[in-house]
Amino acid sequence: MTASIDAQRPSLVGSSVRRVNDPRLLTGSGRFVDDISLPGTLHAFILRSTVAHGRLISFEFGESPADLVLGPDDIAASTEPLPFVWIAPDQQHLDLPMGDKTVRYVGQPLGITVARTRAEAEDAAELVEMTIDQFPGVADSLAALEADAPLLYPEHGSNLAVDFNIGDDSDVLEAAMAAAPIIVSRRLRIPRIAPSPMETRGLLAEWNVGTEKLTVWMSTQTPHHVRDQLAHVLRLRTDQVRIISGDVGGGFGAKEHLYPDEVMVCLASIRLGVPVKWVEDRNEHFTATCHARDAVHDARLAMTEDGVFLAIHTKVTGNLGAHFSNVGSGPFRVSGLMLPGPYRVVNAGAKISGVFTNTTPTGAYRGFGMQEAAWVRERLVDEAARELGIDPLELRLRNVISSEELPRLTPTFQEYDSGDYGRSLTMVRDRVREHVPLVDANPRIRRGIGFATHVEFTGLGPSVMQEIVGFRLGGYETAIVRMEPDGSVYVSSGVMGMGQGIETTLAQLAADCLGVDMGRVSVHLGDTAQAPYSAAGSIASRSMTVGGGAVVTAANTLREKILRIAAHRLEASAQDLVITEGRVCIKGDSSAGISLEELAEYSWLGWKLPEGETPDLEVKFVHDPSNISYPYATHAAAVAVDLDTGQIQIERYWVAHDSGVVVNPRIVDGQIAGGVAQGLGIALFEKVLYEENGQPNSTTFLDYLIPLASDVPDMVMDHFETPAPHIPGGMKGVGEGGTIVAPVAIGNAIAAAVPEIAGLILETPLSPGRLWELLRISGLINE
Amino acid sequence: MNAPQTVMAIRLLVNGVQVEREVEVRTLLSTFLRDDLGLTGTHVACEHGVCGSCTILVDSQPVRSCLLLAVQADGTNVETVEGLGSVGSLSPLQNAMWREHGLQCGFCTPGILMSIEGEARSGASAEAICDEVLSGHLCRCTGYQNIRTAIHAYFATKDES
Repeated sequence: MTASIDAQRPSLVGSSVRRVNDPRLLTGSGRFVDDISLPGTLHAFILRSTVAHGRLISFEFGESPADLVLGPDDIAASTEPLPFVWIAPDQQHLDLPMGDKTVRYVGQPLGITVARTRAEAEDAAELVEMTIDQFPGVADSLAALEADAPLLYPEHGSNLAVDFNIGDDSDVLEAAMAAAPIIVSRRLRIPRIAPSPMETRGLLAEWNVGTEKLTVWMSTQTPHHVRDQLAHVLRLRTDQVRIISGDVGGGFGAKEHLYPDEVMVCLASIRLGVPVKWVEDRNEHFTATCHARDAVHDARLAMTEDGVFLAIHTKVTGNLGAHFSNVGSGPFRVSGLMLPGPYRVVNAGAKISGVFTNTTPTGAYRGFGMQEAAWVRERLVDEAARELGIDPLELRLRNVISSEELPRLTPTFQEYDSGDYGRSLTMVRDRVREHVPLVDANPRIRRGIGFATHVEFTGLGPSVMQEIVGFRLGGYETAIVRMEPDGSVYVSSGVMGMGQGIETTLAQLAADCLGVDMGRVSVHLGDTAQAPYSAAGSIASRSMTVGGGAVVTAANTLREKILRIAAHRLEASAQDLVITEGRVCIKGDSSAGISLEELAEYSWLGWKLPEGETPDLEVKFVHDPSNISYPYATHAAAVAVDLDTGQIQIERYWVAHDSGVVVNPRIVDGQIAGGVAQGLGIALFEKVLYEENGQPNSTTFLDYLIPLASDVPDMVMDHFETPAPHIPGGMKGVGEGGTIVAPVAIGNAIAAAVPEIAGLILETPLSPGRLWELLRISGLINE
Repeated sequence: MNAPQTVMAIRLLVNGVQVEREVEVRTLLSTFLRDDLGLTGTHVACEHGVCGSCTILVDSQPVRSCLLLAVQADGTNVETVEGLGSVGSLSPLQNAMWREHGLQCGFCTPGILMSIEGEARSGASAEAICDEVLSGHLCRCTGYQNIRTAIHAYFATKDES
């Protein structure tokens, strides 16, 4: 805990202070990438494949009115391939060539036009003649594994890109399964999701011909990672590239790496020597930005006749899309790693098959493999409860790891750190018992309540663990905390703000550790020329755990230095000093003291310092945590199902959550509420559709529905805090949990409401059309 | 046959300031506000009228500025988020959104503010705005709960004054 050093001053940690960056966002004075203009900026349009599979045989533009047109040959000749980041065992493809003329998905970038305005760049693109020889395509991962499926990489011999096991050895697992009295097995599916931040991707690239440096304003979660990749691909030195990420209009995983179209925009600026801007439009976003999920799980849960869980296993057929994304099969792997959840299984494991198809590559999205794991595990648990005739919540309580058993190593190599998983279950159970269900005169309205629980992998992560799993991103974060000569406090970190309020919560931590007001602290993020190096940036619910932990230690170290200097000035012992109301004082005697302004001014002058003390009031601390942080939660949903229409209404929603120390309760609640809303979208609406041959059918917000206000209920949230024992400050990640658990809590609620279809609830979205079909199959609808 | 007219002069009031410009007739009103007038608080997130991020007031009515051409706004009174309040002097609605944590990334926020402002001016109730008007906007971050709270808080302060 970052206890306040002054007992009279209320702790900022745990306080719902208002977010520091909201006034500018509320007044339209935020600076999102499309809001930035430089004199002489030209605008780009990306030419993309409109066919799912084929070979580009000509790219001709004759006398183009554009300032610049680049086709695939030009792009390929000017770039290095883009390296992938998370490499699976035996993965053969290690990078993505730019300007590949074999097209493998609709939306694949093939060229770029640049003109005075976006409209003129689009006009010029209309005049480019691209001829593509079409091949048969395949969009579904299971279909792509059939013998006669079209091959995306014929030289590879198969669309099976990677195939590996995690967890217990398969013979150990099969022996456990064979010996188990009861096995519940199901084929479950998690459909393809489009992350859909409200701000699409975009960048403004400026090549300075004089300094030979490239400055790129970009909407990204990972400025340093993008910088490193961009320098490599463009054959520049890293110090020639600066990324500035300003206000980011949501990321959710979609903006955590460099995309090939972004490289093309930078290349255009280098060629022309002027700034070039490109902002993705919404139609593009649906095919050009990584999708996520799209996995088929053949899963088994083994148990005794009393419902004591013995083993869990899943065979994942994961759709990689047309090529590996930067994280490739990583999400499918995490599904396996987190499959056991909070339960005391003896054996666990997964077989992961990653498959190429003629679709947009799948990558990171809020929940990263864990939403899939939760859907699979928690549906199996409810199905087991139904088969055994045990109450689903009681079955969970019977199997959940107790607080005395923590820390505990799972069969999938996760060392769960701390908490009380059963308490989250009983807390939600008690909340639900207070609930008086609505009563409807209409007998065709059914109601039910479903539960789901999980343990989550957040705060990626120890760098040594990243090395073990082949994930080429350092897992540490660095903080710089500095008291300026006027006593104001500068904090810089490599993590990024994208709506999660990290600017505010880092300021809270620093102010609390230093014993100063929030108003004295400013937080600086997103500019690679200023911020300390961050390999991983803001992904994997790590900004507060890893980045915040770095700020806590840096600020505490700076406080110690301030107290040492003050002790010297006041001829007192540092232990007897406190920082209060902008002054360092002797405890119990606020009259004797020195203001922080005076202390800082003289320190930076190098005057009046104790022997051996350096004049700078700046601390840089690198925080590489010793373990992942494991928050956990239980959710419950109360639903009403209309048997005549298949319409589902979520009437109540409960969450009991432990994400360690809560720095700002209102922000944490907001993270959970927003996460649940995205999970609700997965449960009820969201699915990217393709034709069998790879033509996308979801390219606007009219055919890919995300939740509206009328869909999302108000939620009841309870928190308890078990500090992460290995994180300075004790925080655990909170960004993703809502999305992970909500889909299956809702799925289980529908199963509880309509037990006749419970065994058919195996995939999302449970849209009215899909539900109506299940009701019809089960004889609940008379046609 | 005459060549089609590609440029037109327009004259309109924007946040109380008289503006006269020549625009290409194909220019969207959202593009005109952002690129020609530099009013970048109006955000464009879908350009097909679904998400509501680009909502502004035209003659006090909330409209999607991505579905109008700039030339269609000729002679109108346009209000954008920049006209609501400033960093040092937030409007009561902006203040309520701040207090209740009604925004996260803030990209959809200006459009939501303008819809609420317009509908409240036309006499809509807090309930009607929460139940109907808010569903004309996509927000991917908040889960809407805190926006509803902010709307009620705004109406409460409005009723007091």
